[in-house]
Amino acid sequence: MMRSASYGSRLIGGLSFGVMAVFFVIPLIFMVIVSFYQPDPMGFYKVDFVWENYRKFFSSFYYTVSLRSLYSSALGAILVVAFSFPLVLFVSDLSRRLQLFWIILLLSLMCLSEVIIGFAWLILMSESAGIPRFLEWLGLWENPRSLSPSFGAMMIGLVFLGFSIVSLILYPSVSRRDRRLEEAAITLGTPPAMVFFKVLLPTFRTSLLSVTLTMFVYLLGVFVMPTMLGRPKDWTMTVIISDKALGDANLPLGAALAVVMLLVTVLVLFVSAFLTRRRTA
Amino acid sequence: MRNLYLWAIALLLTAPFMVVLGVSVGASKNIAFPPKALSAAWYNELLTEAEWLASIGLSLLIAFIAGLIATTLALAINYVLWCTGSGFAKATFALGLGPFMLPPIILALGASLFWAEVGWYGRMEATIVSHGVFFVTLPLVIIARGFASLTDEVIEAAQMMGATSSQLFRTIVFPLIAPYVFTGFALVAIISVNEYLIANMISGFVVETLPIKIFNNVRYGYSPVVAAASMLFVVLTVTILLILSRVTDLVALFGTSKDT
Repeated sequence: MMRSASYGSRLIGGLSFGVMAVFFVIPLIFMVIVSFYQPDPMGFYKVDFVWENYRKFFSSFYYTVSLRSLYSSALGAILVVAFSFPLVLFVSDLSRRLQLFWIILLLSLMCLSEVIIGFAWLILMSESAGIPRFLEWLGLWENPRSLSPSFGAMMIGLVFLGFSIVSLILYPSVSRRDRRLEEAAITLGTPPAMVFFKVLLPTFRTSLLSVTLTMFVYLLGVFVMPTMLGRPKDWTMTVIISDKALGDANLPLGAALAVVMLLVTVLVLFVSAFLTRRRTA
Repeated sequence: MRNLYLWAIALLLTAPFMVVLGVSVGASKNIAFPPKALSAAWYNELLTEAEWLASIGLSLLIAFIAGLIATTLALAINYVLWCTGSGFAKATFALGLGPFMLPPIILALGASLFWAEVGWYGRMEATIVSHGVFFVTLPLVIIARGFASLTDEVIEAAQMMGATSSQLFRTIVFPLIAPYVFTGFALVAIISVNEYLIANMISGFVVETLPIKIFNNVRYGYSPVVAAASMLFVVLTVTILLILSRVTDLVALFGTSKDT
């Protein structure tokens, strides 16, 4: 079909590109620049060009924090996908009404504030309400204590947070899958449990891998769960960055840490894109 | 086995909110579940105290304008891509996918440095613009599906009858993609109302939105009002999504239709 590239559409195109560039790209570039500045205890920063902030990153503290962030995000991402893939498979075979129910439930959870979800789990794990009290009532726990803050509580929060997002990302491709493959496998005598491992897992291998990487990046950036449900020693890079920037007013160091995180993110996204590309090629 | 798993997950996903609901209607001043006596006192406090009302109003205002910005931007990018299909338009579209892929802390820090330099640090307008631009991705993808659903015949017919491109947009294109635009707007508004980190880093110390207020309350000793505020969020979010499910076919939008 012929569509003319009129003057008006060029103007709109230029404007929208401009808005994205000014308010999305320039702040990121500016952050990279600030990461080379010197911190100024009296104000924001002193214009300079030093590698000092990056050198600090490789000091043992920040190094350990980032390794720990990588570990908890990776573990979280794997758990999220492991729980949500079977759910999406099951939901995609339900009636349309029930599918709508699940989509609304998942969408609500996706949109709901980290703060609210964190607060809800905080209550659920507290001494006076929630799980410890329930266990006491069942007679399973004599002297209940609060379950948070702890590493486990933080991980539950992370998995809960990521669950709805992964489910909604996987849902389209899973619901549109070619069901004849499974039927063929069952007709040929494969036990239903084996169909999952022999047919479904291999079919979705690449999309599962790419959604795991997406989740990994997402969990790296979660702020509220570690602060609300984790102990200070579980705090992730995101918390430290925010702490440096807002608490200590050391913006250049915060920016340098954020740039390192940005590099890790871009690297992971490239790997993810490469994996998906290879399948389609 | 299948139903068991579905029920277990549904229970796990909703349990935290059941408990929050229980706390919010309990009479006790301490967080306790199950509640011993029922009371609406916390909701009353939430909806009458000026401090809480101010936060609610701020959050809704920011969400509304940010939603307008994000959907306008998403519509513009999609429209140009649809009209011209040029490499430049594709690049802009790709740029719009960016914010969704980056950890919010990076966006938040970048934005707060940027606004500090511009001189808008701590202003509500800064939060609005950043929310509007950073949340462009969802409406972008959703409106793209709207444009994909336009059939060439309708457009060609209109062009043959002499419609100018602005007439074409107003009378044909926009009415057909309106549900997608509305869905995009609603999602951005919901996400903006719920967002904590970016709002906090740009202007949290002055513009205390509802999530920021809740977070601060939880940090420094909390009362059941926080539970009531949380329930307000849950109800608001679910209500908007239920309305949305009447306007658009969410099941189709999120995948089961074979139109892509």
